[in-house]
Amino acid sequence: MTCDDARVLMHALLDDELDLTKALEVQRHIEGCPECARAFDMFAAMRSRLKDEALRFEVPSTLEENISRAIRARTPEASRSTVYPSRRASLSQRAALFALPAALAATLALVIVPRALKSGAGQDLANEVVASHVRSLMASHLMDVVSTDKHTVKPWFNGKLDFSPPVNDFAKDGFPLVGGRLDYIDGRPVAALVYQHGRHVINVFIWPSSGDTTSEERIETEHGYNVEQMIVDEMNCWVVSDLNPVELGKFAALIRQKG
Amino acid sequence: MRAKEKRLPDDPKTLDFDRMFLPHMGAAYNLARWLVRDDHDAQDVVQEAYLRAFRFASGFRGGDPRSWILAIVRNTSFTWLSRNRGSDSPAEFDDKVHTREIEPRGLEADAVRQADGVMVRAALEELASEFREVIVMRDIEGLSYKEIATAADLPIGTVMSRLARGRAKLARLLKERLAKEQ
Repeated sequence: MTCDDARVLMHALLDDELDLTKALEVQRHIEGCPECARAFDMFAAMRSRLKDEALRFEVPSTLEENISRAIRARTPEASRSTVYPSRRASLSQRAALFALPAALAATLALVIVPRALKSGAGQDLANEVVASHVRSLMASHLMDVVSTDKHTVKPWFNGKLDFSPPVNDFAKDGFPLVGGRLDYIDGRPVAALVYQHGRHVINVFIWPSSGDTTSEERIETEHGYNVEQMIVDEMNCWVVSDLNPVELGKFAALIRQKG
Repeated sequence: MRAKEKRLPDDPKTLDFDRMFLPHMGAAYNLARWLVRDDHDAQDVVQEAYLRAFRFASGFRGGDPRSWILAIVRNTSFTWLSRNRGSDSPAEFDDKVHTREIEPRGLEADAVRQADGVMVRAALEELASEFREVIVMRDIEGLSYKEIATAADLPIGTVMSRLARGRAKLARLLKERLAKEQ
């Protein structure tokens, strides 16, 4: 065992995470190597300092009560911060909560101004989807699972969602799948698949269609982003990218065929 | 359908949720507090995370509830950070540099033992968030590598190397503070 290996593995030894054979191997190295032994003692001391209770922040006593109340009420007033509408929320509740994407957009310091000519829930959804797309690019949170293999990405969603999104790789058509993540749209967890085309990132948001959404397909431009909406196999699919409409249309056609 | 919406305050789903996730609020708050580094903001993050968890709860199919809620707290914290403070710039990851080269030279175990608690805390606060989070989960919360892997959505091997690197960087930050004091 080299010192470089020992200097990583000694942490797993301290944490009691090595199997017996490996643990003995590391111990043997440390015994025969003064430099590693010194490092080991120092990290052991560090570890016991970190375990010190004083470093743990105690929960403010009011937090549990606040959360308990917020969970039970789940109305916009109940929470100081963001409240997500229930999937089963009544239509009027939904309408009230559609103000949320706008508020979110404002905190993003992005000027997302609803257009006067368009209206309705579809428009709010489009804003929400674009906001999510932009957020995914800003944060270092484009992907939860990084893989170009649909057999890795699809199972990753198991247990995280109550539906199984269709996952396909379109690499041979110039739109490789690069990963996926969980997102939150229209008051519910959704699957977000990330594709790439050249330098452009494409987000595809997928969730089961409730049937009350308009089924007409459309493509539109939203604050410089192109958004395409469709329903494929009873799934809502929203495709968002800064890619030009023609290329994005090609991509959408692939989704439609494979769906 | 309508009748179902008007749940009584303490329906079984809510009680299950309480029983499973409220006991981990301490861990949730501690992680959020270390990540966003502000009491009020951490409370907002935990509250948002719990509301999200309540929505996602139908997707929770067994497993460790603590890792599960911490994964949501972590995501909510990072989303919060990027939304409110600009991205918490990720530390430069240079996997070609050996952990050994990150360690400070000549920092003795005794110096670490005698270092002021305020100094240890400040060094940990200064550490880049991807290292800070694994150290908080492992050393302060006592999570296993497997639990950290779930909560931080990392492969177990990465958990190990990130802890090794994180502690080496932390030792370096601590040594800098000790040197300044003298």
